[in-house]
Amino acid sequence: MSATLTASLNPASSPDVAQRAELSAIDASTKAPALYFLGSSVLWLIVGTVFALIASFKMHSPTFLGDIEWLTFGRARTLHLNAVIYGWSVNASFAVALWLMARLSRAELRHAGLLLIAAIFWNVGVTVGMVGIAIGHSTSIEWLEFPAYATPILFFAYAFVGAWAVATFRFGRSKHIYVSQWYLLAALFWFPSLYGVAQVMLVFEPTRGTVQALVNWWFAHNVLGLWFTPIGLAAIYYFLPKVLGKPINSYYLSVLGFWSLAIFYNWAGVHHLIGGPVPVWVQTAGIAASFMMVVPVIVTGLNQHLTLVGSASALKYSPTLRFIVFGGVNYTLTSLAGSLMSMRSWAEITHFTHYTVGHAHHGMYAFFTMVMFGSIYYILPRILLKEWPSAKLISLHFWATAIGITIYVVGLSLGGILQGIATNMTHGPDASIIPYLSNADVKGIIEITLPYLQVRSYSGVLITIGHLAFAVNFVWMLVQPRPVGATAPTLFRPAPDLEAAR
Amino acid sequence: MPEWFLYFVALPMAMLIVASAVYGLYWASKKGQLQDLEEGAKVIFDDEEPIGRPTDQTLHQTKPAPKSGPRF
Amino acid sequence: MNRAPLIFLGIFFAIAFSWTGIVLTNHLGYAKLQPVFNEDEGKAFPQRLPGEAIRGKEVYRDLGCVYCHTQQVRHAGYGVDLERGWGERGSVARDYIHEKRVYLGTMRTGPDLRNVGARFAGEGGRDWHIQHFYDAQITSKGSIMPNYRFLFETRPIVGEPSPKAVQSKLPPQYQPPAGHEIVLTQRGEDLIAYLLALKDGPLGPDETSRLYVPKEEPKKEASQPEAAK
Ligand code: HEC
Repeated sequence: MSATLTASLNPASSPDVAQRAELSAIDASTKAPALYFLGSSVLWLIVGTVFALIASFKMHSPTFLGDIEWLTFGRARTLHLNAVIYGWSVNASFAVALWLMARLSRAELRHAGLLLIAAIFWNVGVTVGMVGIAIGHSTSIEWLEFPAYATPILFFAYAFVGAWAVATFRFGRSKHIYVSQWYLLAALFWFPSLYGVAQVMLVFEPTRGTVQALVNWWFAHNVLGLWFTPIGLAAIYYFLPKVLGKPINSYYLSVLGFWSLAIFYNWAGVHHLIGGPVPVWVQTAGIAASFMMVVPVIVTGLNQHLTLVGSASALKYSPTLRFIVFGGVNYTLTSLAGSLMSMRSWAEITHFTHYTVGHAHHGMYAFFTMVMFGSIYYILPRILLKEWPSAKLISLHFWATAIGITIYVVGLSLGGILQGIATNMTHGPDASIIPYLSNADVKGIIEITLPYLQVRSYSGVLITIGHLAFAVNFVWMLVQPRPVGATAPTLFRPAPDLEAAR
Repeated sequence: MPEWFLYFVALPMAMLIVASAVYGLYWASKKGQLQDLEEGAKVIFDDEEPIGRPTDQTLHQTKPAPKSGPRF
Repeated sequence: MNRAPLIFLGIFFAIAFSWTGIVLTNHLGYAKLQPVFNEDEGKAFPQRLPGEAIRGKEVYRDLGCVYCHTQQVRHAGYGVDLERGWGERGSVARDYIHEKRVYLGTMRTGPDLRNVGARFAGEGGRDWHIQHFYDAQITSKGSIMPNYRFLFETRPIVGEPSPKAVQSKLPPQYQPPAGHEIVLTQRGEDLIAYLLALKDGPLGPDETSRLYVPKEEPKKEASQPEAAK
């Protein structure tokens, strides 16, 4: 099967030509689904950003668009979350995962046209879910707000994607399983398990009482840790060495990182319920697991750092590297912050505050989304066989989003800590230490947090500018004619005049 | 959660799981599954894109980069 | 070297383990949680919500109140929920067993609402909610809670003014044009019924809400009254 395909693709005897034909044939085989997934992800990114801005402005100016029911804060915020998670992030991760899997397995994506069905169904599912939320059918279960009638569509679509990726792996010609593939395989298996269980135990047949909260956070935290994180890490483990042209510093560490993530992340979600009406021993297990997460995080961070050392100058030339390194550094930071947040004494302050929101964006945006941007900057030229039209727009995209998200996370974290301290200082001995924070009533707490909520909106505007630059570049790239005679990615300068990274 | 649960169910369960994980690792290493791990790092390179050749200079393309100093 | 089976086994094992631990054991463990009859009140707690309030909970769900409000009171010694008057005791798992959907929440932009029915009760409470939903600034100047005017209807008076009209409860600047009246929609009525019904009952006999307090702390408190004697 694959043997005949390969033979037909590389009639030339020179191994060099054969290899070239192989890589570009693989890239080309992913073109249709990858383009569809990426195109829709960019669309949802813009939709999600618009809702983000609306929700953010509403938070400090509640009368803004105040009388429109479907844009009330509770819905606008939910529309934002679901658009950027299931619309942008999942679509993007499908494209990246399929492309990576094909490349790493050294196998063409077969019958890729059928994957378009999956792509269409996924986006129909997301659209149905979004409309459902807008008209008031949200479940109000965090991260699972899509109404029950949207999920079968999503599940059907997912089954296609999962099956294709696994089949591609199965029929692959590569002898080794690269660590990125470990992460991808795991993510592909974990996501439907999580989503299936959560749907059954929460939406279709809700379990008893606060077990729902346990299922909810087992799902919601794991979908970050066991879907988005592995895919983000798979991308980092591929692109970082690939862009630099040097192998990852320690492959052994990357494997260790994988297993410790698999074991510990699974249990960490319960730290969202610290102090809540659920059994203490699960909370303790969640705290312990969150703490153990330090192991995979340090291991991964160290490995990436050691790989980059000595080649940092490549950051100037490669947009992929910039985004990926930014994402990688923030993976380390946000995970360490997450471990800290699971400490009871720290959670006492930061739980229930805007700090959590800042943390969520630290992970989903500063880490995952930035890595996806970087991956797209690498993948798209290789499946379209043309280069990005504007380096200026890429640069604008990078700086606007990087600065924007930094302000966002720092601002909300600070605001959240102040909010938490103020909430917890009613009277008593603590009260006199920081007069400005003590004895604040509900209104006082709002006054303390308001400036930070405004800062969040400004940083949101900056991020939006970055997204627009990205979207313009994306569309421009699609419509720009391909240079004549381009059959393989030859348009990438083969011998760079910068010092080859070693 | 009653205390006995912790000692008689949760703890043995945890120990069993840890033990089976340790055994799994032992088995894997005995079968040679953990050998030549470091080789794995090189599988993403080949003749077309060998080790030592960076593969992304997008920002370099439109305007030649100066030899030193940041461009942005 | 084909490591695929080994990897797959590990992947499966990792998630099966956490599901068993976090979800399954508790799912089974919760089966024994039952309502407890309280002699003083002559009722079993927790109580079921009345039908109107259940419909109101649907409004609470569809408008996403959960993104700004929690429904879980933290225990004495952990946070200051009790000092803030959000409850007389911390919430326990049994409080939620009748609820088809549990909205514990993770965000407190506004106060905890688990016992809001105790803070705002009866006719006065209803009026407060009406004002608050019409414009939060009426009751809480400087609030960032949105208005929910779409839970009201401003309509021309046809024939007799409706006995359910609520504009008399609103300050002058909110009065409708002449010949019009403001009424609560059914959803508005339901939502307010839900908020009025939100209240935890007494604890069971061998139940404690002080789950997170270090062991010695109860002793300290117990000794305080003695010292005062
Ligand atoms: C944007 C966040 C936000 C949303 C959404 C929101 N609230 Fe509020 N809520 C607040 C804030 C802030 C306060 C405190 C100031 C005030 O009283 O308005 C508050 C106060 C309240 C109070 C008074 C509690 C007390 O003890 O003083 C009630 C009741 C209430 N909200 C109910 C609701 C309901 C019902 C919804 C959904 C329809 C809702 N809230 C949606 C932010 C929000």
